[in-house]
Amino acid sequence: MVDTGAKLPSDLPITQPRYVGQDVPRVEDPMLLTGRVEYGDNIRLPGMLHAAILRSPHARARIVRIDASKAEALPGVAAVLTGEDVKQWSHPVFGVPEGWTGYALATDLVHWAGEPVAVVAATDRYIAEDAVDLIEVEYEPLEPIVDPERAMAGGPFVLEGKDTNIAYQRHFEFGDIATAFGEADHIVKERFRWHRTSGNPMETCVCIADWDPFSNMLTIRGSHRSPHLILPALINALGMPSNQIRIVQSPLGGSFGVKTFARYIVLISLMAKKLGGRTVKWTEDRIEHLIGNSSHAWDRYHECELAIKNDGTITGLRMRMVDDFGAFAEWLGVGMVLKPMISFSGCYKIPCFDYQCYAVLTNKVPQGPYRGFGLPSHYWILEQLIDIAARELNLDPIEVRRKNFIPKDEFPYTLPSGNIYDSGDYASSLDLLLEKSGHAELKKEVEEAQSAGRLVGLSVVSSIEPGLTGPPMLVHLSPRIFTRTASPEGVLVRMDAFGKVIVEVGFPWGGQSQHTFVRQIVADYFNLTPDDVQVITVDSLTMQPGTGPISSSVAIALSGAMMGGLVRLAEKLKQGAAVMLEVHPDDIELFDGMMRVKGAPEKGAPVTRVAGFMQMRPDLLPEGVDASTEAVYVWNPPDRSLPDEQGRGVYAVTAAGALHLCMVEIDRDTGQVEIFKYVMVDDCGTRLNPSVVAGMLQGGLAHGIGNALLEEYVYGDDGQILTSTYMDYLLPTIKDVPMAEEYEMVTPSPITALGVKGIGEAAIHTAPAAILCAVNNALEPLGVRITEAPATPLRLWRTIQGVAE
Amino acid sequence: MATTRSVQLRVNGIAYERSVEVRKTLVDFLREDLGLVGTHVGCEHGVCGACTILLNGETARSCIMLAIQADGTELMTVEGLASADGKLHPIQEAYRDEHGLQCGFCTPGFLMTTYELLQAIPNPTVEEIKDWLSGNICRCTGYKDILESVQLAAARARGEDVVPTSQREHA
Repeated sequence: MVDTGAKLPSDLPITQPRYVGQDVPRVEDPMLLTGRVEYGDNIRLPGMLHAAILRSPHARARIVRIDASKAEALPGVAAVLTGEDVKQWSHPVFGVPEGWTGYALATDLVHWAGEPVAVVAATDRYIAEDAVDLIEVEYEPLEPIVDPERAMAGGPFVLEGKDTNIAYQRHFEFGDIATAFGEADHIVKERFRWHRTSGNPMETCVCIADWDPFSNMLTIRGSHRSPHLILPALINALGMPSNQIRIVQSPLGGSFGVKTFARYIVLISLMAKKLGGRTVKWTEDRIEHLIGNSSHAWDRYHECELAIKNDGTITGLRMRMVDDFGAFAEWLGVGMVLKPMISFSGCYKIPCFDYQCYAVLTNKVPQGPYRGFGLPSHYWILEQLIDIAARELNLDPIEVRRKNFIPKDEFPYTLPSGNIYDSGDYASSLDLLLEKSGHAELKKEVEEAQSAGRLVGLSVVSSIEPGLTGPPMLVHLSPRIFTRTASPEGVLVRMDAFGKVIVEVGFPWGGQSQHTFVRQIVADYFNLTPDDVQVITVDSLTMQPGTGPISSSVAIALSGAMMGGLVRLAEKLKQGAAVMLEVHPDDIELFDGMMRVKGAPEKGAPVTRVAGFMQMRPDLLPEGVDASTEAVYVWNPPDRSLPDEQGRGVYAVTAAGALHLCMVEIDRDTGQVEIFKYVMVDDCGTRLNPSVVAGMLQGGLAHGIGNALLEEYVYGDDGQILTSTYMDYLLPTIKDVPMAEEYEMVTPSPITALGVKGIGEAAIHTAPAAILCAVNNALEPLGVRITEAPATPLRLWRTIQGVAE
Repeated sequence: MATTRSVQLRVNGIAYERSVEVRKTLVDFLREDLGLVGTHVGCEHGVCGACTILLNGETARSCIMLAIQADGTELMTVEGLASADGKLHPIQEAYRDEHGLQCGFCTPGFLMTTYELLQAIPNPTVEEIKDWLSGNICRCTGYKDILESVQLAAARARGEDVVPTSQREHA
């Protein structure tokens, strides 16, 4: 690791940072606002064909016969890809644990209603869809597997050749569970159900593939991200050498995890192979997104116990979690059942916990990553258990939380699972939240409303965002594949002969403002303006080792990579400056954009001139110094470790604490929830661009509201999905999301460059807990509670009426 | 029955005449036949609002209209907002200043809806803004910054000298 010397923005080589920490306008915006950004679906290449996909109408069936002859005969149709081609040219798609997936296209069995069965390529999408209707498929329908508990108990099995539907199970025990529960004054028990939801970026998935048969070069364009992660999956499925695959990233119209995924890329690549050199584009339509892709997440059944003393000290937490994973355990999705272990006890000091998790296959859409990667349901349950315990012990729920918070002088704090929280001050965050929200007044209001018979409730909850988790956690799923602790992120920084800076990053545009951050950091480092910095997203052939935007990594990884790259570039430029200033390079320092002589700050040269000098006068450079004015740096997370046999490991880099307050009213007659106050205090250390952080939090809150109150994929007993449009799957609108108040707590991370912590998932972690705890506070006078998310009007109405579902 | 028909219309002040398949949606026609790819396709069933354009001055969902239904109309798309010299429209400026977008995919639809709103109600209340924008879905921003963008655009149109909330001192 390069010592960047910049633990905080104030350590940057400039008198006063002008951009880092400021609301610098985003470089991305002018092109986005004028509709000039080249999203995947905007790409049109010469001779390009368009693909449409035939999808299974059955949840589980055997394909007896496919006849594509009528489709192939339709004018404009170039080719039809079926299971036979896919079996011949590829392997089942990547997934860990290994061996729990199928091919990119159904070959013999179909595993869910919506699984691809054939692909048509034609001169336009309308013709391709006409042709899809002409493909004749004879199915032998089989009894679908829809109930995960039954699926766990025995056959039939979702995947052929398997004798179980449990793709993954693990029992983690940290600390002395038996004693904690044996000696507890009180044990709270409850079951919780979290229904399927997903990210639903406004841009659906797009893939454009060109497989040149003469050079055997496969070029992929489209809406994916993290080519570093997609590339191994393509190599694995297609048997291609890495240097014959070029993955080009377009700007993303949102992802929320959904686009870090490879099955449809394999599928469209195979369509391209069949086309023998003609480019083909597939743009997923919204219904396909809702029923067919690997876009669903978290379909969970929890049984939980919390051990607590009469004084409110929490001594243990036990959870059994069954996740209805859908038809395949593909990609890295099963990691989502593990992630709760990383921050199992949230902001609290809980000495032991016991976690049994299962990923169970059923005939439903396979799960894939979604913002939060499995934690939002966990914090809801943890916070709800604390509220229940406080109620049963007649304690103030806020004081129970305060009592159990990890004290600020105990950081870095090691959890029983071995993960380390780098920094935090939860008690001060709580104080700030109570003060800023006027909590005492709100509490009085709630009490008055409740005594007047209104269903008004208030909550104060907390969560931890473990920033940049990754491979150490996935070791549990496949020790063969994940033997590393690395989540590298590489950049190339170049100063051109005119003193302008070009930075190559592996991050595409995706809403997180990554290119803006890079410009802010470079501008302050060299005392330039953001407009002096051009940022380029590279493709898989030009990229440095990297990971891409996963697990709230953007600020963490880019700060580390950029600072390392800038320090390296400055070291190179010192060599040139030493010639210009006729001193030894060790006597040169960079400050305020000047390469100046230490101890004689009046003697110096602007760094921008040094770059020009080195490129124009290589004849004057000493031996061993060339005219290159660029540097590559590959950052890696510090201080991580692989887990031991018990599962103890350092899994994440940072820990951002969140304290949220929510006040709701439930309409007794309709079950409708109105959120009329929402206040957040978040601590992500240094905020590179406060507006961007605030936007991430407000946006995460909207996702949290969707998960808590609105969004749900519903399946019938026949395995048919009943929510295949936005008329049934409800996304929050401007009328559903409160305009939250947002306050900063800043405890800079001691281990990242500039003190940043990951924050992108913080609000979706916290909001479901805040909303549902407030809902249950409102229900308290009725003596009922809701333990199912989303708390839809119907569910709430039934809970209020005491009617079983 | 003829499968194509001639369509004449004006988009962002430019007259077009094209032969178009009768089944082609207006958004596909704009994007594929006219190359106006700034209008985005989000759901293709009229819910998300990403494809919103102005048709004879009123917002319309171009994903659930056929191109031939736009024969003889005057359309405005996101490409028609900014001027050719690189100056953003005041509504675009306001969205930029208030951080009213993240990934930007839904943004063209929001801009067109905001345009119609501010033509109809130059001084909208919060509730009016919410009513008008409730047919556009954004998955990134959580809407707060969008609401503030609309308020800023309205205030500036009234000639008020307003500091964007994003440039005020943070709490």
